[in-house]
Amino acid sequence: MAGSRLEKFGTVFTRVRDLMRAGVVKDADKPIWYDVYAAFPPKKEPVYQKPIARFGKVVDKVPEILYKEDTVRAKFYEVYGNGPRAFDLTKANFVSTSQRFIEKHQELEKTGDLDEEKLFEETAKALLAEGIVLRRRGGATMALQSPGVSVSPEAESRDPVLEMRLKDMLQELQQEHREKQQTETTRDPATTQ
Amino acid sequence: MEQYLFGCRLEQDILDLDQTMEHLQQALNFTAHVAYRRGIILFVSRNRQFTHLIESMARDCGEYAHCRYWQGGLLTNANVQYGKGVRLPDLIVFLSTLNNVFQQHVAVRDAAKMNIPTVGIVDSNCNPSLLTYPVPGNDDSGPAVELYCKLFRMTINRAKDKRRQMEILYGLKSQND
Repeated sequence: MAGSRLEKFGTVFTRVRDLMRAGVVKDADKPIWYDVYAAFPPKKEPVYQKPIARFGKVVDKVPEILYKEDTVRAKFYEVYGNGPRAFDLTKANFVSTSQRFIEKHQELEKTGDLDEEKLFEETAKALLAEGIVLRRRGGATMALQSPGVSVSPEAESRDPVLEMRLKDMLQELQQEHREKQQTETTRDPATTQ
Repeated sequence: MEQYLFGCRLEQDILDLDQTMEHLQQALNFTAHVAYRRGIILFVSRNRQFTHLIESMARDCGEYAHCRYWQGGLLTNANVQYGKGVRLPDLIVFLSTLNNVFQQHVAVRDAAKMNIPTVGIVDSNCNPSLLTYPVPGNDDSGPAVELYCKLFRMTINRAKDKRRQMEILYGLKSQND
């Protein structure tokens, strides 16, 4: 059976077409796929393309996919770490903590005109009101004045999760609630009790 | 593969699924026509995870699969390895164009040498140039390969059913082709 084994010249189709034109391949021996290819050719001719040898620094032409809320996301992860709840990928419509943060942030941005830092704090407080406690990364930076916990230098190196107690968290919540009320009514700087 | 990429998000290449859709439709259409004309289709993949899946899929549609070690002269030296007058496949479908060492599968080049058209799923680390009908898509994850298997099996079965139907209607068609 006649054939042409030159895979680097032209396409499969052009080689068979030229063989038939030359009379080497008879019409009876026409391959099954020939007419199908002629009727439905591919988008791009399958010509062999040598992989380009790139030297030195390779320029990446693929665009990065970035969204406007990525700045907020980056700040969230920098301040709060991974967030209290782990990602549950078994659910299709799962909304993660960072995603909720973003949505709340966008809502607050639309309603009021606050500068970025204030907006960040406001979003954190709004999530706290909804029941999501966000712990700051890097040790116990919140000043806990309650008698149960002692803030010592060793506590910084320990995992902050070990310091978490429900009682302290509740007390924090109550304090912040009181602070909020105080700032709204008296406009004094927030004092911890 | 840059032309088939939508972008890069956190260093993960994202394929442009609009292009994938068009390419996949063309590839399935070609497969269907070849199956209708009683062509032999060979499924090739060197991804060990899906060997069983692809072999059972090929058995279900009555076609062939080669998911094991590819000996050098399988296509190019077929007359010596299998005997004179072997009928080679009329279409080779790659569910992964890479072999176990992440180089292009020998069968891609050999099919081009033997003037056999190829359909292949090309991932972002593959070279699509020699494939006749490349389909940009993910070739690594289970759901993706199961989807491709399902689509190819459906296409080939439908094409063969149509062929049987036309033969019954027009009777003599099997003798001509």
